[in-house]
Amino acid sequence: MSVEDTIKGIVTKIVRCDEKILTPESTWQDLKADSLDMVQILIAIEEKFDIEVPDEDAQEIKNFGEFVAYVEGRVAKKS
Amino acid sequence: MRLKGKIALVTGSSRGIGRAIALKLAAEGADIIVNFLRHRQGAEETARDAEKLGVSAQIIKANLVEPDKIDAMFETIASKYGRLDILVNNAASGVARSALDLDTRGWEWAMDINARAFLLCAQRAVKLMGERGGKIVSVSSLGSFFVLPDYVAVGVSKAALEALTRYLAVELAPKGICVNAVAASAVQTEAIKFFTKEAEGQMPSWQMTPAGRMVTPEDVANAVAFLCSEEAFMIRGRTIIIDGGTSLAPFSFTDEGG
Repeated sequence: MSVEDTIKGIVTKIVRCDEKILTPESTWQDLKADSLDMVQILIAIEEKFDIEVPDEDAQEIKNFGEFVAYVEGRVAKKS
Repeated sequence: MRLKGKIALVTGSSRGIGRAIALKLAAEGADIIVNFLRHRQGAEETARDAEKLGVSAQIIKANLVEPDKIDAMFETIASKYGRLDILVNNAASGVARSALDLDTRGWEWAMDINARAFLLCAQRAVKLMGERGGKIVSVSSLGSFFVLPDYVAVGVSKAALEALTRYLAVELAPKGICVNAVAASAVQTEAIKFFTKEAEGQMPSWQMTPAGRMVTPEDVANAVAFLCSEEAFMIRGRTIIIDGGTSLAPFSFTDEGG
């Protein structure tokens, strides 16, 4: 499973949205993700990929596409 | 140094109040175990700063919402140290919601981290304290008693924590384990920005105290260190309030300080 598909699975499970509505342009507001969703998504992503996503970085990420690119970058940096 | 040779686990000690507690206990001579979830860099800084005080320090990542992660953390402690003398239950989280807007996820999140994790950590800590006894101190909040805006999830979970403190204090007394808590009013940390931001930027007037300033993490750490010392041996199941007198005169102080 690709990094993107894994992230999709985590986000749709936590936010409880259909994968079909998740596009690279989707913002957290579009997905109606609240602060608890965000914390739980970050915890799950960090656990799954064994990376760290500092809060300052997370706050700069504007949409799902940027989020995937950020995580892919951190995963690549690690290996 | 009141805690020389003791081994202390401080949950959630990568920053804020937990970090201040870890460093205070280190200054009192305790070897420190820094538990963290998301802020490894902060945890490493806490550990480094503790080591500079002449004690050993180790970091352990564990999500305290998950019982198996708590098990793994205590297994690591058991294999490395073989014992534990002090548990400071500090890790906390919550959601900023009114009671009517609070859903089951937010409720469970706050209860699991702030109350259930305390029970699970205490149960496992007791085994590592053995017949030598020990100290268990939890960090509560004035929101367990006072009604604060959008604080219901945390406030109720902290009330549960304080009740559990009393039950554990009596049940563990014959084992030589002292159990207490501290409850602070608004403490100058990053975490308070979360609640004030989500409450539309309004800084509550209770940030100012009759003592003339906000409570600092070090104020909380000093009280925790006292409760971890033998000097506090006869204090059991109590929640020590650290608020500069705010709760005695809640309507007398404004943002300007009175």
